[in-house]
Amino acid sequence: MNAMRRTAFALLAVLYVAVPAALGSNNYLMGLVVSSLIVAGVAVAWALLGNLGGMVSFGHAAFFGVGGYASALLTMKLGIPVLLAIPLAGLVAVLFSVAMLPALRLSGPYFALAILAYAQIFRILATEMEFLTHGSGGISQIPVLPTIAGFDLSSRTGQFLLLLTLLAAFLAAYDAIRRSHYGIALRAMHDSEDATRVVGVNSVLLKSWMLFVSAFMTGVIGAVNAHVINFLEPDYAFSGIWSVLPIVAAIFGGYRTVTGPAIGAVVIYLVDQLVFKALVSTGHQIILGSVLALMILFAPDGLLPLLRNALRRMRGASHA
Amino acid sequence: MTPLRLMAATFAVAATVGAGGTAAAEEFTVGVQIPLTGAMARSGTGMSEGIQTAAELFNKSNAKHKIKLVTIDDESNPAKAVAAVEKLASQGVVALVGGFGSNIIGPASDAASKLNLVYMTAGGVDNDLTKRGHKNFFRINNTQGYERAVTQLFEEQGVKSVSIVYSTKEATADLAKDLQKSLAPKGIKVTLHPFDPAITDFKPIINKIKLQDKSEVIFMSAYENDYVGIIRAAKVLKPEIKAIVGVWSLATSKMWKDFPDLMPNITGTSLLPYPVDYKQPEGKLFNDTYRKMFNKDVDYLAQFGYVKATLLFEAIARAADGGSLKKGGLADELRKTNKETLIGRVQFDASGDNLNFRHRMGQHQDGKIVIVSPKSEATGPIVWPGLPW
Repeated sequence: MNAMRRTAFALLAVLYVAVPAALGSNNYLMGLVVSSLIVAGVAVAWALLGNLGGMVSFGHAAFFGVGGYASALLTMKLGIPVLLAIPLAGLVAVLFSVAMLPALRLSGPYFALAILAYAQIFRILATEMEFLTHGSGGISQIPVLPTIAGFDLSSRTGQFLLLLTLLAAFLAAYDAIRRSHYGIALRAMHDSEDATRVVGVNSVLLKSWMLFVSAFMTGVIGAVNAHVINFLEPDYAFSGIWSVLPIVAAIFGGYRTVTGPAIGAVVIYLVDQLVFKALVSTGHQIILGSVLALMILFAPDGLLPLLRNALRRMRGASHA
Repeated sequence: MTPLRLMAATFAVAATVGAGGTAAAEEFTVGVQIPLTGAMARSGTGMSEGIQTAAELFNKSNAKHKIKLVTIDDESNPAKAVAAVEKLASQGVVALVGGFGSNIIGPASDAASKLNLVYMTAGGVDNDLTKRGHKNFFRINNTQGYERAVTQLFEEQGVKSVSIVYSTKEATADLAKDLQKSLAPKGIKVTLHPFDPAITDFKPIINKIKLQDKSEVIFMSAYENDYVGIIRAAKVLKPEIKAIVGVWSLATSKMWKDFPDLMPNITGTSLLPYPVDYKQPEGKLFNDTYRKMFNKDVDYLAQFGYVKATLLFEAIARAADGGSLKKGGLADELRKTNKETLIGRVQFDASGDNLNFRHRMGQHQDGKIVIVSPKSEATGPIVWPGLPW
């Protein structure tokens, strides 16, 4: 286990204990942390597809919405327990992502736009399939997260612990894929897909797997969100914000890194809601937009590489 | 007594009087969760101004109790509305007032219910909102009040056929279907045209009405941006109709100000004319205060905000006097409400609904809103046929 992994595990252990201890009694702050982890989950899934699959998606709202609706319907119509419905919802998102496989032939902005179109198609399906989804009226009273061994997962602390666990699992999976032979092949595809195919790598299959993994992660997060907010409507579940905010968060945090997107999501969500909204109660997004523009101009690699470089410089200065 | 002792004694008396004054005026914080940005901002802002006016008037007239408002913009987003409710709860509010749009009020009032906080609104008319069994949910308006007002207008004008263009969202779909049920037995031919809330081009629907339905009236059960799209499409295609009628957030001064080319002769629900002409002293005081605070005339959204907030503040004062406020007695106190207000008599049933609610219809006429139905309460004649083109 290298030093960085040890640090990550230690940080995770601290988060499990410190956040509920410090904020557990404040529903509002815990609610914001929970919301930021939801964005973080989608940001990690988006970065995985972009970083490993080489595909820039503008339509992760599709998987998010499908996951949310799938879990809500599985629990409400079929009576499946919530904790079982959540991974099943991830699989339903994977199933829906199969419909996107033809888009894998596209690259760059064409793929991004095709995925955006899929998100619109799924939103319209959710609106029109009124017999199943209740149409634009949406679904309310979605079951809350259950109580397990006396611990209420529907409490803000419970939601936080569940989401942190999922996020940690996603990051571990992302890191494992990245370090595997498949990860090497995927990164090689970035430089030249044709050359990689010549040496025997099935690029379409690998890209498909990345799409499935990313869809599964996003679907699971969408499902958890449905049980957190207990309400879904097509405009909300498939809102463009679920596509845009994770991209912004990933780029802000450093989308070439594994943990950058998650850190970026938590930072921008909390800073926007706690600082910018306090400064400018209406229209606070303008400050966030300006900060992001400056970040992209002056630190295009994102927050995490920026911090690493600063740390390195400080160490260098102290050694000198 | 030395000058120093005299000063100390004076200070002590002043401090005692001051402390007594503070203790007499007990302050209660009320949370306002309302959309000030996003799709519902226009309506949310109007309601918010009415709520602020209510607090101003309550504080001036009530020596024993003061209301402090803490407002959070829910950005027309259900998740942000839930966060706003939780933040306000963490700040120790005694109750919540606000919300606009049933799909946002639903999760926000669910969160308030979990936190055992009273939630008072005038922005959500979805029938399901009062069927959830929440003991702390109250609203002063409902679909039935809108449906009765529109039905009466059509009866008064002898309308024979109506094309209802409605958003498939919960509240708008409920109203469209309820209206169809009430118009059909009266021999009025009704054709329904549901639309996805995401669409912005209404020309295909208007073309269908023009070529197939050939109705006398287009009725819109929708929201502000939809109204604009529908009227704009109608203005382009010019179907042979007599009127375009809508409901909430349509007959407002703000809509005329923002869309002066689209609003002439458009009719929508409105409890009062614009410029407002209150007869009762409470209305005059509300109007004067509102004008001083916001430098404009009251419209019906502000009035809704004022009425719901005033009822809440008065119930808080009664519960505080009766000693039940801190014991969760505010909901019971609100349920005892039986008061003639600027929107008529308000009484809440067990589900928190105001069953006395009845709306009026107002028509945009040269920058003014004239109450045109019911005829007994009209402030001017209706322009019929009357269209923006």
